[in-house]
Amino acid sequence: MAQFLVLARDNGDPRREMTRMSPEEMQRIMGKYMAWGARLREAGHLQNSNKLRDGEGRVLRRAAGKVTVTDGPFVESKEVLGGYWLIEAPDYAAALELIQDHPHIELWPNASLELRQIHDFTQR
Amino acid sequence: MSAGPPESGRHAPLAGLVDHLFRHAAGEMVAALARLLGPARLDLAEEAVQDALLRALQTWPFAGVPDNPRGWLFQVARNRALDRVRHETMSREALQWPDGIVDLAQRGDGSDGVRIGDEALAMMFMCCDPALGRAAHIALTLKLVSGFSVEEIADASLERAPAVAQRLVRAKREIRERRLALEIPLPRELGARLESVLEVIYLLFNEGYAAHGGESLVRADLCDEAIRLARLIAGNPQTDRPSVEALLALMLLQRSRLPARVDALGDLTLLADQDRSRWDRDLVESGLRHLGRAAAGTEVSPYHIEAAIAAQHATARDAASTDWPAILRLYDDLVALKPSPVVALNRAVAVAMAEGPDIGIRALERIGDDPVLAQYHLLPAVRGGLERRAGRPAEALHHYRAALALRCSAPERRFLKRQIREIEDELSRAAPQ
Repeated sequence: MAQFLVLARDNGDPRREMTRMSPEEMQRIMGKYMAWGARLREAGHLQNSNKLRDGEGRVLRRAAGKVTVTDGPFVESKEVLGGYWLIEAPDYAAALELIQDHPHIELWPNASLELRQIHDFTQR
Repeated sequence: MSAGPPESGRHAPLAGLVDHLFRHAAGEMVAALARLLGPARLDLAEEAVQDALLRALQTWPFAGVPDNPRGWLFQVARNRALDRVRHETMSREALQWPDGIVDLAQRGDGSDGVRIGDEALAMMFMCCDPALGRAAHIALTLKLVSGFSVEEIADASLERAPAVAQRLVRAKREIRERRLALEIPLPRELGARLESVLEVIYLLFNEGYAAHGGESLVRADLCDEAIRLARLIAGNPQTDRPSVEALLALMLLQRSRLPARVDALGDLTLLADQDRSRWDRDLVESGLRHLGRAAAGTEVSPYHIEAAIAAQHATARDAASTDWPAILRLYDDLVALKPSPVVALNRAVAVAMAEGPDIGIRALERIGDDPVLAQYHLLPAVRGGLERRAGRPAEALHHYRAALALRCSAPERRFLKRQIREIEDELSRAAPQ
């Protein structure tokens, strides 16, 4: 069994869309996320998931010999990471099958999901 | 953020939410916040509620649904509103806030002692204040009490969204400028104020039961929302009058027929042809119960009579057993109480059923020139049906075609076309070769 990180990226549009949504639409969308999560959890694939706080963060770099800390990245920049799911699946093909109906890409036109397998150092 | 699995802690296992929870909670919360902040700050109340729903949308899929979803939402909305109040500088507007608002902001301990049900009721009366126009009543009620978005209101009322948005802006400004109060009217004013509210509710129900246009004839969710609003009024002893019970009875009885009113393709089925086994018996019983309650006292509203007519249909074993003479007598009462061309039209149908199509047609001819009915597709449509039953297919065709030229929903259009095709087929078969 392998572990995968599913990284949800937005380009800022979802938030703007969402502020105009009706309560009914919001509930419908929330229902889709919850149904997806529930499905994976019950089948034993979902290990953890979290949303990252929007519009804040820090970026550390080294420049001219010292560590610099800047505020960022912000929602206005492209492709900001919004949240993640940690799932379990035998391989990429199986993991892809689990996430291809994910509401994140069904609902938001410019959103994306990045799927990365976690390197298991106990495997040869 | 926590690293534990999502199922630990306070979430509901199968993460299901009651239907329309967000929409209903939105209405309750806007009303409660408007009570806290004053009706002049409706925009702030709405923003705070929208914020809370957004927050839920972003976090509940990860953290799970809280044990008390409504409580969570209200807490977040309230905090958001009070944060805004605290950060605003003391402006002219701030001085107009109700007494105690600053204390409330500083207390913030949730001990408001406000009963949720009362606010939504008070909000309904404020939205339907006689000082505002009827169109404003509908838009405000749907936005602030029912939790509809501008687009959803536009969709329900077959209007354009920008027009609805403008109307809401103007109406809220009127509320501020006229200093309308968020409260249940005093008993001596209640009758008149209730009339307004019930009219709006019935308008909403009718839009769901028989849409004026668009793709669907029936929008059950609009009917259900109208019933929910009426239940809110009936559920409070201060506001529960016989006319409320009568309207509720009428809507429940009509709603019971919806499953048979349109078929799987969304096509219209006339009352006479409906499969009555598909009528919702629970709704029929509930409707009859409320009709019984409506009979208390001496008040007889048009809703009473319309509900009695609906009860006749609901309790007839089949179409053929319908007591049309009784229904006709009820329509006679209704026409006397609420003279209107549409009521007269419906009465003419009862006349035709009780006394034959030709007599029904004579009743129709008496109202045929009424300008109110000039654009009403049901007038020629009913005439077409009666002419057909009277054995005059050519006349029937003429009237059905006239009906098709007027505005109506897509299913009704298909129904009319079907009648026309059938008659044309009959005529061509009967034509000499």
